[in-house]
Amino acid sequence: MKPDLEDLKITERELENLSGFEAGPIFIGGIFGGVYRSSVFRNPQRFLWFCLTEVLVFALIFTFTVPIGLSTLPGNVNNSIKDVSTTLQFLQTTVGIALLVLLLWNIYMGWRGKRFKGLMHLLDEIDRYHQVLAAIDLLDQLEAVDSQVNLANRQDALAALSLTRNSLVSALMTEKILRESRGLLARRHDLVTNIENNLSALQTIEINNRANEYGQLLNAALQIGMSVHAEIQQVSSRL
Amino acid sequence: MNYFSTIIFLLRDRQDFLEEIHQGVRLKSKISSLMISSFCFFALYGAIIGSFDGWAQALSSAIKLPALYLITLVVCLPTLYIFNVLFGSKQNIAQHFTYLLSAVSVIAILLCGFAPVTLFFLITINNSFKDYYFFMLLNVSIFALTGIIGVSFLYQIMRPIADPNDESVQAEKATALPAKAPDLTDFKPDFQVEASGKPEKSEFKNNLQVRTNILRFWLVLYGFVGSQLGWVLRPFFGSPGDGFALFRAKGGNIITGVWTAFTNLLN
Repeated sequence: MKPDLEDLKITERELENLSGFEAGPIFIGGIFGGVYRSSVFRNPQRFLWFCLTEVLVFALIFTFTVPIGLSTLPGNVNNSIKDVSTTLQFLQTTVGIALLVLLLWNIYMGWRGKRFKGLMHLLDEIDRYHQVLAAIDLLDQLEAVDSQVNLANRQDALAALSLTRNSLVSALMTEKILRESRGLLARRHDLVTNIENNLSALQTIEINNRANEYGQLLNAALQIGMSVHAEIQQVSSRL
Repeated sequence: MNYFSTIIFLLRDRQDFLEEIHQGVRLKSKISSLMISSFCFFALYGAIIGSFDGWAQALSSAIKLPALYLITLVVCLPTLYIFNVLFGSKQNIAQHFTYLLSAVSVIAILLCGFAPVTLFFLITINNSFKDYYFFMLLNVSIFALTGIIGVSFLYQIMRPIADPNDESVQAEKATALPAKAPDLTDFKPDFQVEASGKPEKSEFKNNLQVRTNILRFWLVLYGFVGSQLGWVLRPFFGSPGDGFALFRAKGGNIITGVWTAFTNLLN
């Protein structure tokens, strides 16, 4: 990836600083103590990983319930535990506790996830934004191998993406401020205005370049910008 | 999404990884990834050693081995954290937990490295008592070796180091660090001298010394708790002709167990 394109990326660390949470493709705030993203149910690959994670977490919880199961067994002071009924009793206790903890963990994540709807939406937009960056990188690579492929208006596309990036960063900051301070800070107005200005600039760039090779990508950038704007308006109006 | 990439990051860029723990960067995802990946590695090795006595033992050991390492860690964590905080450590419990998990993950990956060797012996030996004791002692040696490496790794990464910007402790730092740990010498400290109320040098040195001693004591404690839990959770290998047992009788301890295996191998 070219350096100018690389600079446009929103890194994981930056995302953590802006949102206040570690944001991964499946979980926000890590597996333990975090919440799962609603987008896992829309993306089959992520859903598969989510299911696999659930299985692994169950196995991990089960591991920690082994001493509890052992302590509930009738004394094995002199003899080994070999009979089926005692083994089943052990499994009943351990599997039961593990399933209960897993269920409570999922209920907790579902309940807590409601607080993060705005952030989840913004993270989905950031994913789309990174997809656009990947598409431009692909075009750059094609241009590097085949000199006949000469793509015009790359700079406009980068300018549009830069504006989109600023909008996303502003939106993340606004969402964090609103989430943490319940909209009491004056800075919110500046950030929302910033997003609106970026959106107007994006619309202008998109209209000028609608007919060229980057039209689709610019349109995607505009869509992201509009979506971010709508999300922030929605979050602001809720408070 | 890929939990194993964290352990690769730990192995390849150890200093950056430790730096991130020190700064508290992405601790939750590190803890999650290290827990899950070390669980998988331990479960794999547990299944291999358990398969000496059939599939039921393999399944049982695949749960027991991760339980042994991870529960020992959780049981011993509060002791280390509370004592360290008492003697001046600024790191929180999540950072302590991540350091310990890193060491346990190193043990897990080392065990996985030995997995082909264990598997080779598992295939080439008979399910007889003589071979059982050989297989058991082979694995005790592997566990001891990986444990020693893991513990020395933990000792290196957790040993309290003074602030590199503080000139008064530079000389001590240079003499305190072993010659064979160049990649960790730049590792940031967890002791920071407050701008107001700078502690006396002697008190500062005392605290460092005490925390180093606490770490040494804790490593011994970790070994004790681990060996006792391992004894309680046995069998890990099963026993030829004895059938599958979920747990053995509670009597005895690991020292007597290893001694019995050793004498039986020689007789």
